[in-house]
Amino acid sequence: MTRDIIVGVLALQGAFYEHIKLLQQAATEVALNDGQRWKFAEIRTVEELERCEALIIPGGESTTVSLVAARSNMLEPLRDFVKVRRKPTWGTCAGLILLAESANRTKKGGQDLIGGLDVKVNRNYFGRQTESFEAPLALPFLRSKVGEDGSDRFNGIFIRAPVVEKLLPVIRGEQTGEGAFDETVIAPAKAAEGEKAKKQVLRPVEVMATLPGRSRTLKEKIVALGMADEVGDIVAVKQGNVFGTSFHPELTEDARIHIWWLEQVRDTLEDQDQDR
Amino acid sequence: MAINDSHTNGAAARSTTNSTTTTTTANSSTSSPTDFKLKAGLAQMLKGGVIMDVVNASQARIAEEAGACAVMALERVPADIRAEGGVSRMSDPAMIKEIMATVTIPVMAKARIGHFVECQILEALGVDYIDESEVLTPADMVHHVEKGPFGVPFVCGCRNLGEALRRIDEGAAMIRTKGEAGTGDVVEAVRHMRTVTSEINRAKNMSDMELRVYAKELNCSFALLKQTAELGRLPVVNFAAGGVATPADAALMMQLGCDGVFVGSGIFKSGDAVKRAKAIVQAVTHFRDAKVLAAVSEGLGEAMVGLNVGRMKEGEKMAGRGW
Repeated sequence: MTRDIIVGVLALQGAFYEHIKLLQQAATEVALNDGQRWKFAEIRTVEELERCEALIIPGGESTTVSLVAARSNMLEPLRDFVKVRRKPTWGTCAGLILLAESANRTKKGGQDLIGGLDVKVNRNYFGRQTESFEAPLALPFLRSKVGEDGSDRFNGIFIRAPVVEKLLPVIRGEQTGEGAFDETVIAPAKAAEGEKAKKQVLRPVEVMATLPGRSRTLKEKIVALGMADEVGDIVAVKQGNVFGTSFHPELTEDARIHIWWLEQVRDTLEDQDQDR
Repeated sequence: MAINDSHTNGAAARSTTNSTTTTTTANSSTSSPTDFKLKAGLAQMLKGGVIMDVVNASQARIAEEAGACAVMALERVPADIRAEGGVSRMSDPAMIKEIMATVTIPVMAKARIGHFVECQILEALGVDYIDESEVLTPADMVHHVEKGPFGVPFVCGCRNLGEALRRIDEGAAMIRTKGEAGTGDVVEAVRHMRTVTSEINRAKNMSDMELRVYAKELNCSFALLKQTAELGRLPVVNFAAGGVATPADAALMMQLGCDGVFVGSGIFKSGDAVKRAKAIVQAVTHFRDAKVLAAVSEGLGEAMVGLNVGRMKEGEKMAGRGW
């Protein structure tokens, strides 16, 4: 019997189709055990989410996705998916904002977050559309070092992009310390269930990509925000099996990150299966 | 890159003026592929969303809270433009700036067809998208704005495939239907979407030789027509616009293949704007789920009064503006 490994892409709003296309391309490179096969699905309802082993939250408008999720009764099930059962999840741009435990510069009155990554995200850090940009990124974690264009860099596309402003202490409850700041929202706490999930949520946050030099060119802005500028802007982070990028791999034709991420998903599943 | 923006914008504005005065052939090659990817990329982020017309900051906040993925700042909604007549122009920069300062979602603004100086002003304000729109009074009865050299992306209306590809050739990074704005009658938007789809379907089975003839017939670029035929869809995001008044209208346009929906007068000219705005947002996400559509369509109060496009004189229609 064939077992489908269903990877969902949240399809409430945004560039979900682009992720599915790249996942299909990546799947040919990521072998599964005999009898297993990848399946990719657009997710709009709780029933559809329940069938998923892993999830991508795509780029879009985070305000819209958050409001539509709440009105479609998806917000709590999503928190359950990411934080309680701790299934592999990846958010790009708006998805990164939603996966952050804390965010600032959101709309008036704040916005609901899902949480899952102990970071603080600055929404629209890079400004409006006329400040959107592309930048070659070094991503040493990729297995296939060189892309189809022969470059060892990954073309990062940043559109009205957020940035990870701060790595937060890994704690069990809410990031109440951050919640005390003005105009900063935090995600509600959810206790992880099961040993594996508990371990995953207490993993440290790893910085997966930065924009070196970027912080130098933006020096004025950063001084104004009172930020340290030593490391360069953080544009990708991972905490256990939850991953976030402030750029849009789904707007490229380069499937290297999708391949890497599907391998991570596969390894997580194998790890679970061994316990059964 | 962000840091050089004011500089490049200035250059873009200058080269626009030059290209408009010194050359008559449409050519988007002045925009680098990088720029175009970023411009078209923002439109991709808006997909599956609703862009709402707003005339002030408080309406913009209502739209943002309702879940709009962007707002379109304009001085009068199309229904009022129709009722009041006169020349309709780009909005007051002060109003646009106030809206930009009030909401965190992207802010679009309208410029008159062919009025590249209004576009330069909107770019200088830092709006996220410009709509070169037939809803405003055209400033040029022959030329459209040369959009490629601008740093800010453009959306343009179309009634058919040829018109869509002409706009893309000029540098538009997003397309919308040209439904009769301010009427609450969706019939024209449906006609435009169906026309574009059927023309793409025809192109899909054509050889290069046939495509060259078809490009002449549609009065568009062969290269763009070929790209469209290969993709089986427009090469940029395509939204519905004009006459969308109900959640059912919005879902209809989505099921016809649109990537998202603009709603103009339909929201703030209706009885309960907040409820209707939320309902249309839900309808665009769950556009194939009739149960959700039924639920959100309940008790919305009065829809905008509406004008029947079939009974309008040709001169009253806006869709005919644009060339």
